[in-house]
Amino acid sequence: MTSRKKVASSPGSGRVRVPTGSAAVAELGVSPVARPTMTERDALDRIDLSVDIAPGRGLLLSNPILVASGTFGYGVEYGEVVDVQRIGAICCKGTTLRPRAGNQPPRVTETPGGMLNSIGLQNPGVDAVIEKYGPIWQGWKVPVIVNVAGESIEDYVEVARRLDGVPGVAGIELNISCPNVGKGGLQFAIDRDAARAVTAAVRRATDLPLLVKLSPNVADVRPIAKAIEEAGADAITAINTLSGLAVSPDRTRAFLGNTYGGLSGPAVKPVALRIVYEVAQVVSIPIVAIGGVTNLDDVLDFLACGAVAVQVGTAIFADPELPVRLGDELRAECLRRGLSSYGSLIGTALPKRTGAASSKGAEYRP
Amino acid sequence: MRLVAAELVESRQILPGQWIQSFHAPELATGSRAGQFVHVRTGDYSGLVLRRPFSINTADPATGIVTLHFRTVGRGTEWMTRVREGERIDMLGPLGRPFEVDPRSHNLLLVAGGLGMAGVRMLADEAVRAGRKVTILFGALSAGHVYPSSLLPDEVEYIVATDDGSLGHRGFVTELMADYEAWADQAFACGPHPMLKRLAALAAGRRDRMGVAKLGRKRGGPTDALGSTAARRKSFLQVSMEQNMGCAVGACLGCTVIGVNGPQRVCREGPVFASDEISWESIA
Repeated sequence: MTSRKKVASSPGSGRVRVPTGSAAVAELGVSPVARPTMTERDALDRIDLSVDIAPGRGLLLSNPILVASGTFGYGVEYGEVVDVQRIGAICCKGTTLRPRAGNQPPRVTETPGGMLNSIGLQNPGVDAVIEKYGPIWQGWKVPVIVNVAGESIEDYVEVARRLDGVPGVAGIELNISCPNVGKGGLQFAIDRDAARAVTAAVRRATDLPLLVKLSPNVADVRPIAKAIEEAGADAITAINTLSGLAVSPDRTRAFLGNTYGGLSGPAVKPVALRIVYEVAQVVSIPIVAIGGVTNLDDVLDFLACGAVAVQVGTAIFADPELPVRLGDELRAECLRRGLSSYGSLIGTALPKRTGAASSKGAEYRP
Repeated sequence: MRLVAAELVESRQILPGQWIQSFHAPELATGSRAGQFVHVRTGDYSGLVLRRPFSINTADPATGIVTLHFRTVGRGTEWMTRVREGERIDMLGPLGRPFEVDPRSHNLLLVAGGLGMAGVRMLADEAVRAGRKVTILFGALSAGHVYPSSLLPDEVEYIVATDDGSLGHRGFVTELMADYEAWADQAFACGPHPMLKRLAALAAGRRDRMGVAKLGRKRGGPTDALGSTAARRKSFLQVSMEQNMGCAVGACLGCTVIGVNGPQRVCREGPVFASDEISWESIA
């Protein structure tokens, strides 16, 4: 645990900064190792999966498994079959300043190991979302992060301003990477300066914890991630969907009403891992990974590549209970490895070389 | 809506490529109404990321048996045909809103095209049980694709049309509508979207042709909101729509069709809609 103490006492120096209750316990010299006299249940309860994904501003999750924007609606739709309070956090459907009707159907289609979607940011607008769901979210234990999309910096700023101070809104995830609308903000995710500008503008507009969601549809994501960090984002979400296409059965046109769709599901996991791996080496803010998670191994892979938390998306459609179960499985995995928290699972696959710019943070790993 | 482990009891091929599977799932059999559907998860090893939606073909609360009727169109349905008796598969349901029959309707016209039979089949059971008269108009490509009459309740009148005339009326099933629109108090349809579109056009002109007042509309009284259960109950034609589906619970907005009041989720506002809710010009 010495290395963990070192991390905790070196704020800002490493990227493994997962402030957890057990880290504090470790610093007090209390052994975090489960005593053999405990029943397994007690031992599991003692394992601390809590994580603050916006250090300094505070967005404390009870566990690092989130549900991804667009796959879980506003948190109420799956309420009959899932105990939503046990999820780490809910990222709600992309929300814009004004209502949007979305794209022409068909909007989804299955592809090998994944699916394409082109919903087109259908949503009732930020005011309706606040009015309808704010009071519900306020009564929830699970934090709700509102995914925000827009066509201009002014749009993003205005939506953020209206969400600021709304009870039940725990944070904002800037969707600057929707590939499915003509002006869905993707222009902000593929240009470093634009990404910096929109992040900085929203940062000035709100004190809410701010996550910014990266697009994989770029040649090199690292300068963009750095710009977002410098502009004041609290965390980075990586990745959004990859732009793709399906052909109609009669092969006379594209299948989706919008022609293009965003690819998600297990098919994109290697791309997501690569981007998390790259971003983790150039930023020191937390990374929330997303892309094709369907089981605990996927979660552990993303943690190993430097993510502090993981979002589950497409897999929910087949297995609505998966996000809750992954939290339980991560807890059991920690117990099996004799860990009191999952912090030591983070970043283990990153390059061990020290000194080089690309391995920032690696020197603090055991 | 709940997650159910449904045990396959019987699987049989009723027509080339068409299957009816019976599952023991008391939770679904007791709580389901005609028009609702289940979202079926394919095996973990199949590499398929989405569930498959199926209309509940029949549901028998007494035995706890629900049946699904499907055609093998891809890897998901092919996987289902390989499930063995005794194995359990994961179903989410019942989902969606059911057909709404006006209590005053005595004569129900059910119109089905091909696999659309699965969408209206359970309504025939419900209507017969309630003492209503049921006529099913069924359309298919040819005699070899016609749903066996032995699988329908005896009380049902069954009229068939085939595109090639190999059985029954030669032509589209919608051409039979004219003979029955005066008899029917309400009509319920499921099938290819062009068929539903044609039926909707016929239904829109029916009131004027028949010279009858719209069911349940009191003079000067308030009208029910479009899409409400009350409005649907009073509509002449209800249609069960189909669309590629993601979550099936209303979260992903993937399965929308365009309605006159904007996008409608087939899984949540549907799959059954009153025909006047749909923006038919948007349907190919």
